[in-house]
Amino acid sequence: MKHLTEEEMIEHYYSEDTRKANAEAHLRVCTPCSRAYEELGKLLGSVRAPETPERGPEYGAQVWQSIRGSLLPYEAKKKRGFFYWPQMAFAAACLLLLAGAFLAGRIWEHAHTRPTLASNPQQTKERVVLFVLDNHLDRSERLLVQLNHAAADGEQIDYPLQGEARQLLTDNRLYRQSVAKSNDPLLAAALDHLERVLLEVANSPDGLNSADIVRIEKEMNTQGLLFQIRVLRTKTNAQVVQKGATL
Amino acid sequence: MGNDDHALIRAVLAGDKDAYGQLVMRHSQSVFRVAFRITENEADAEEVVQESFFRGYRKLESFDARASFQTWIYRIAMNCALDVLNKRKSHAAMPIAEEYDGEQATVQLADGAAGPERLLLSRQIEALRQTAMEKLTATERLAFVLRHMEDRSTEEIAAALGIAPNSAKQAVFRAVQKLRQSLAPLWVKS
Repeated sequence: MKHLTEEEMIEHYYSEDTRKANAEAHLRVCTPCSRAYEELGKLLGSVRAPETPERGPEYGAQVWQSIRGSLLPYEAKKKRGFFYWPQMAFAAACLLLLAGAFLAGRIWEHAHTRPTLASNPQQTKERVVLFVLDNHLDRSERLLVQLNHAAADGEQIDYPLQGEARQLLTDNRLYRQSVAKSNDPLLAAALDHLERVLLEVANSPDGLNSADIVRIEKEMNTQGLLFQIRVLRTKTNAQVVQKGATL
Repeated sequence: MGNDDHALIRAVLAGDKDAYGQLVMRHSQSVFRVAFRITENEADAEEVVQESFFRGYRKLESFDARASFQTWIYRIAMNCALDVLNKRKSHAAMPIAEEYDGEQATVQLADGAAGPERLLLSRQIEALRQTAMEKLTATERLAFVLRHMEDRSTEEIAAALGIAPNSAKQAVFRAVQKLRQSLAPLWVKS
């Protein structure tokens, strides 16, 4: 026979046991458990709730009066709803608008800058070559203009101009060799012509006097070369813009 | 009454502070009763009642409209009572416990043959009961009062104390065991 545990007896006392009938049946036949349960009943029966002091009908009002002054009234729900939610909605709408504008800007920028960007390394290389060539032609043009002015004014060419001519000569050789491989005979011919002029200017041992300059102008047709370079610059400029090389 | 309570709560939240006064007047007696049973002190019980309704007002926005206001304020009162009990214990209630020692009570009963025995026995039981209750932890005491004096189910106790039902049941068991230990000498001698 399995006796009731103390916990089971307490559960049974408070009528919370799920097997009430079983416990009662056991208590009827088991003297030790019955005695223990009786003692428990006596013990718990002796523990009575303390007598609660009477509180008059005005007690509630007294409690209310004692706390009333410390309480702040709630704001009306409708008011809160009217002012609170539209503010939240407005803030959310502003955020959405900002996010939308940002995204639209990004998309627009992306759509408009895509053609200017190099899609492959070959395009990038062409763009750089065009830009550098345009710069070279620009410098050469200025040198030829100075040379032509000197010829017209009968001046002597100074040392810095010869130094510039030497630098341009070195660059020009590289460009000419590069252009010779490409399918642009006009540019190749112009660079070839330019190289000869630069060679003449750069390599004059005692500088160039006005007679030398006039001779070069006549023999090498520097005026025609200048015109040719200007035409080429216009062309390379157009190509640079077309390929987006707006550095 | 439940629906009336909900209407009053809506009125309070709409800005009618005095509607809360009606809730206070309606429930303060029952809150006082349970507060007194837990604290066994009139002043403490009144403090619990005031604090419960004060906290209740401040938390009223969190009140679940599906719940009963009485159960809700009851639960707040439990917490306030716990605070009072803990505060009381921290202020050292030991002299009272020492005064009513179990062994001492046994001797008193053994010698108390003269006079109105029943009255004496009743006083001694009450003194021992108080001592025994003081020895319970706050949770055990609350669980026992709710189970034994307020006739609340384990689920209700668990909800009121914010603990699991099994923990509530164990708290009641421990309380009964402690009371048994404290009060057993009395029954042996008598």
